[in-house]
Amino acid sequence: MRALSEERLRAILAWVVIVLVSGPVAGAVLLGVLDGDSPCILCWAQRTSMVLIALVALFVLRYGPRPRYLGMVVLLGVFGQYMALRHSGLHLARDIGQGFSAPILGAHTYSWSWFVHVTVLAVVGVLLLFLREVASEGDREPRGVGRFAFGLFIVVVSANALQAFVSTGPPPFMGQSDPVRLSLNPRHWVWSMDELTSPAPISLRGSWTVPRPEATAAAADPDPARGPLANLPTLTVSGWERIGVPLEGTLRGLARDSATGRYLAVTEGYGVYLLDSTTSRVLHHVALDGGFSIDLAPLSGAAFLGGDTLAVVGTNKSWVLLRPDAAANAGEMWRRFRATDGGVSELGRGRFATVRARQQYVLSLAFDPAARELITVSVPSARQRRLVVSRFSRRDRMLSSEFAPRLGAGLAARGEARSVAEYVVTGAAVADGRLYAISAAYSTLLVVDLATRTLQAAYAVPGLQRPVGLAVRGSQILVAQADGRIAAMERPAP
Amino acid sequence: MGPSRAVNLPTMEFLNFLLILWAAWLVWRRPQRESLAFGLLIASCLLMALLFFVGARGSIVPGVNL
Repeated sequence: MRALSEERLRAILAWVVIVLVSGPVAGAVLLGVLDGDSPCILCWAQRTSMVLIALVALFVLRYGPRPRYLGMVVLLGVFGQYMALRHSGLHLARDIGQGFSAPILGAHTYSWSWFVHVTVLAVVGVLLLFLREVASEGDREPRGVGRFAFGLFIVVVSANALQAFVSTGPPPFMGQSDPVRLSLNPRHWVWSMDELTSPAPISLRGSWTVPRPEATAAAADPDPARGPLANLPTLTVSGWERIGVPLEGTLRGLARDSATGRYLAVTEGYGVYLLDSTTSRVLHHVALDGGFSIDLAPLSGAAFLGGDTLAVVGTNKSWVLLRPDAAANAGEMWRRFRATDGGVSELGRGRFATVRARQQYVLSLAFDPAARELITVSVPSARQRRLVVSRFSRRDRMLSSEFAPRLGAGLAARGEARSVAEYVVTGAAVADGRLYAISAAYSTLLVVDLATRTLQAAYAVPGLQRPVGLAVRGSQILVAQADGRIAAMERPAP
Repeated sequence: MGPSRAVNLPTMEFLNFLLILWAAWLVWRRPQRESLAFGLLIASCLLMALLFFVGARGSIVPGVNL
């Protein structure tokens, strides 16, 4: 194969400039003139990056392939990809067809920016691969297509400068995150400094900066007297019990099957235990593989789904369905379990997708047999200050509904700044159409009427230490703690 | 009538395109000024990165699961 001569390289680069400038860069201006499309501050930077890549190509066209030009174009390609991913990250998770500004050939402009920068790096790689290793010919006056590339660059970048003047203004104004439609009528021009003056603190992950919920629960104030709701009645612990068998790892969640009296416990380290009705015997035990193939995160909740089906959930809302199975396929289950007694099969695993509770962890799982829905309660954080009850269909585990409970009659916050979003629910169960949820913060039992989506009642439960699970046993509420002790109390009358 | 004015800060897209045009003009018509042109290229890159950072500072990492 013949090596690429420098003369040939310059000709190719001239065409690269022509394609880059006449394609995405000029096309963006045309979108503005013909369709009123106006770039946001991030779009401007991405467009500028393409222009700068073309400028570096002009440097090579003029002076030859000096190392610092190659370094610049690689840096621009890498930074351009970062910009495209950062910008696209705002929109990639939206629903089909949604995005910012008009799409081109089915993709929005910020997505095209990623494609362009990847292509640039690929083209640079191919050209370097075939470039002949000889000393550079040095400065050469561009002729023919090279001269045309220079001229086209000047014209197109001038048009961009004009559009930038119109839509972002002269110094000191800059692009906007949500620009108005481009117009040549000065009355419609908006020159703004909002991007700089708006109070946005520098953050690495923005709204995704959410602390681990276990740490939130462990650090929660257990004193009910300092809770957000005023004048709560007290629910007294009538007795203490203890899980009668040793569990590997700290207890993270507990459920009880009303039909059989059996218990389901989950522990730190992905342990799942099916216990008898006295919690003194392990009927079945598995240790899930938490990292393959779905990241389960630490287990935080358990529920019986009727029959023999067991459900466990991780803090990141990933779930696993299990079933006691005397004919469990050991070979098939080896890939699911780190350890097993051989009598359990995994039916499936997946992830709950939420809307209102997005970017929030959970520390609880419940099952509503009447609606045949699984229920989680979100853990509030400084970034996401809300307590959301999310319901998922038993059939397909898709979101059925979500709500933030309203305060019922007789309940009042201690002040305007206080709200139920201060509670950290670590255990939940459904009985008689009500969701009973225990909060590690302020040791409070919350009673949510699922039909009216109302926080019907709340009770202070003094004496609890790190509650991790809640179960209903007839007329009793059982609150399991991380130390394996279980507080029993009478279920309050509706 | 133009829009409202604000505090002075010499960073904006319009100025950046002027820097780029200046650099391209030097490369084409004043090739002996390569150092100045390359300096303008560097300045323009930094300005672009700064402007992007202004718009992205609330979440520097892409706002998705990592």
